[in-house]
Amino acid sequence: METTLTNPVASRKFISDGVLGMIFLLTTEAMLFAGFISAYIVNHAGATMWPPADQPRLPIGITAINTIILLASGFLLFFFSKNFKSNQANGKNGLGILMLSMLLGLTFVSIQGIEWVRLIGYGLTTSSSLYASFFYLIIGFHGLHVLVGLAILAYLFNKVKNSKSTEDAKNTINACKLYWYFVVGIWPLLYYLVYLS
Amino acid sequence: MENTHKISFVNKYLFSTDHKTIGAQYTIMGVLMAAVGGFLAYIFRYNLAFPGQNIPLFGALGPQQYNSFVTIHGMIMVFWVGMPVLLAGFGNFLIPMMIGTDDMAFPTLNMMSFWIFFLSAVILLASFFVPGGAFGGGWTMYPPLSANGYMVRDPNFLSALLSGSSLLILAVALEFVAMLMGGINFLVTTFNKRTKGMTAFRVPLVVWYINIAAVIFMFSVGPLVAGAFMLLFDVVLGTGFYDPARGGDPILFQHLFWFFGHPEVYVLLLPSLGVLAEVIPVFSRKPLFAYKKLVYLALLSAVLSVVVWAHHQFIAGIDPRMATFFSIGTIIISIPFAGIFLSFMATLWGGSIRFKLPMLWALGFIALFLIGGLTGLFLGSNAFDIYAHDTYFVVTHFHYTLFPDIFFGFFAAFYFWFPKFSGRTLNNTLGHLHFWLTFVFFNCTWFVLFFNGLAGQHRRIHDYSAFSNFSGGIYQTFEKFSTIGAICLILTQFIFLINVIMSMSKKKNAVKNPWEATTLEWVADSPPPHGNFPVMPEVFRGPYDYSVPGEAKDFLPQNQQ
Ligand SMILES: [Cu+2]
Repeated sequence: METTLTNPVASRKFISDGVLGMIFLLTTEAMLFAGFISAYIVNHAGATMWPPADQPRLPIGITAINTIILLASGFLLFFFSKNFKSNQANGKNGLGILMLSMLLGLTFVSIQGIEWVRLIGYGLTTSSSLYASFFYLIIGFHGLHVLVGLAILAYLFNKVKNSKSTEDAKNTINACKLYWYFVVGIWPLLYYLVYLS
Repeated sequence: MENTHKISFVNKYLFSTDHKTIGAQYTIMGVLMAAVGGFLAYIFRYNLAFPGQNIPLFGALGPQQYNSFVTIHGMIMVFWVGMPVLLAGFGNFLIPMMIGTDDMAFPTLNMMSFWIFFLSAVILLASFFVPGGAFGGGWTMYPPLSANGYMVRDPNFLSALLSGSSLLILAVALEFVAMLMGGINFLVTTFNKRTKGMTAFRVPLVVWYINIAAVIFMFSVGPLVAGAFMLLFDVVLGTGFYDPARGGDPILFQHLFWFFGHPEVYVLLLPSLGVLAEVIPVFSRKPLFAYKKLVYLALLSAVLSVVVWAHHQFIAGIDPRMATFFSIGTIIISIPFAGIFLSFMATLWGGSIRFKLPMLWALGFIALFLIGGLTGLFLGSNAFDIYAHDTYFVVTHFHYTLFPDIFFGFFAAFYFWFPKFSGRTLNNTLGHLHFWLTFVFFNCTWFVLFFNGLAGQHRRIHDYSAFSNFSGGIYQTFEKFSTIGAICLILTQFIFLINVIMSMSKKKNAVKNPWEATTLEWVADSPPPHGNFPVMPEVFRGPYDYSVPGEAKDFLPQNQQ
């Protein structure tokens, strides 16, 4: 029934539904992080000592390496989507690259998780100081987005693997990759604000 | 046999992906929640008029309960009535019909949106039954009351999570998720699924306005969600984001809240103004005045809406220079809305006006909103606001804006589109009775309270017996007058209910285009089947071709060549 009623102007779509929806979603997400960041900056600026003397310091070095891992994951996704069509023409789907990108993302959250456990052991808890509260709030929310992003990439993996039409797969890739770019792209800013400033 | 029939019922009415069913679900849910919100209002209004007395159908009202009821009344009316009815309800019913398509871009997401909304309402109502009762710190949820005040008595994790304040935050967060899913659907549908010939400036204004409202919502909600999560963590995880003793800042929440809170007013207002922009030309038999400029004005108001928020915080200790900036912004933002209302006036001017029911609600909306809007100008200037802050003047002001917006807007739309979407007609006499009584009793309820507010009566005190200047004399008489008005206002709504029930029990008798309107939904059958149109109509003209000179008929449907 629905197929006979398809819209006569489907060709007008400059941007596919999925990509457009994702853009609107990410605008909202960006504003969410803007809320966290502005709250953080206001409190940071008003504090007499940041970080407080009695609080453990954040692991800057290992997180720098972790930053590179996440950026590499984003780059691999870019590479995967760029070469998807030519790979498909060669009879391959390039899914190995996507898999690698996901593995790097997984490595990133795992390292973050291990660091959290260590920090809690050192006495940095949600209620130990405002400094610690903001750390867990902002980095935690980003971590949550990484997990959601990995779920989206897993969905994408499955979709590309089983998809019959290249066009369909291409649209899904274009929508899903935006989410991961957002997660990867906002991280250096958060790293700078929370760890370095 | 019976089993398969049941499955189809579930798919058709509960987990339907059809935009019209989802629109109806949102609307019905909104009306049910309005009944809850109205009942709460009845209870605390009764207590204000007759303090300490036993309230019929309820019993005695304690101070803590009073606070809870006032808080949840506000929450319900804004987030569980205004949002589902005006944004989600109108958006779902109207957008696919008016742009000429079969359904939303993401039907499954649309269905999920409603059920998440439903869950949020259940959580909100459940919060009445947790220890300590529903949250009572005001609908703005300001810390410290919401974070670590008397509302949260027992600070262990589980009981903190099941306290009125965290359940309220949770319910609001879920409601936002639902509206976000709806908003994304509206925008993508409007961008990508318009029928042939439906160019941007042939889209009816109500569709524009619902989409602009969705954009405002999506742009402003993020910071509030951020603020709400920080509040939730203050309650359940022992963080100190808003606790000055630990370096936090309670004013920060106010900023995050009102960064959303003020634009939210326009999220609620624009869909209703859009309805007026459809109703008024139809019953004036004239094109909408300055259609394109109305789009630009709404876009301008959307931009301005995110730079006025601190006018809610003039007495919160913000920098006076900042207060001046926000005062000026607030007064400037009335300009686009004045423009919109002037355009409605200009549309009426010289028209051959038909005083049908939708038109009466539209005109009533304008009359009441004028009072609400003008008192808003007073409050926008910080000198006056410092005096009037938190008095009945403020409460009366926003009821003069939001009541016409939510209820008059809804009823204008309801009486206008009910024949289309149900296929049935409403009783005209009952409809007139409903309109006139609502109009009169609303003014009885509210107008007198302007005087209480100007006399300095504070909005959040449950019993004025201890304050001699308010407990007797004229101001207490006003309180009683207002309460009796409110009770009559609520009873009047039963006329509406009876009218709808009577009409639903009759046969389908509505014609395709009872009001002789031009937009695409009137091309479809009444009610429109699944898929809306047998063949998607092609559009050749704008939405407001009424009384075009030299034409035989005084209206030209959009799909007429
Ligand atoms: Cu405001």
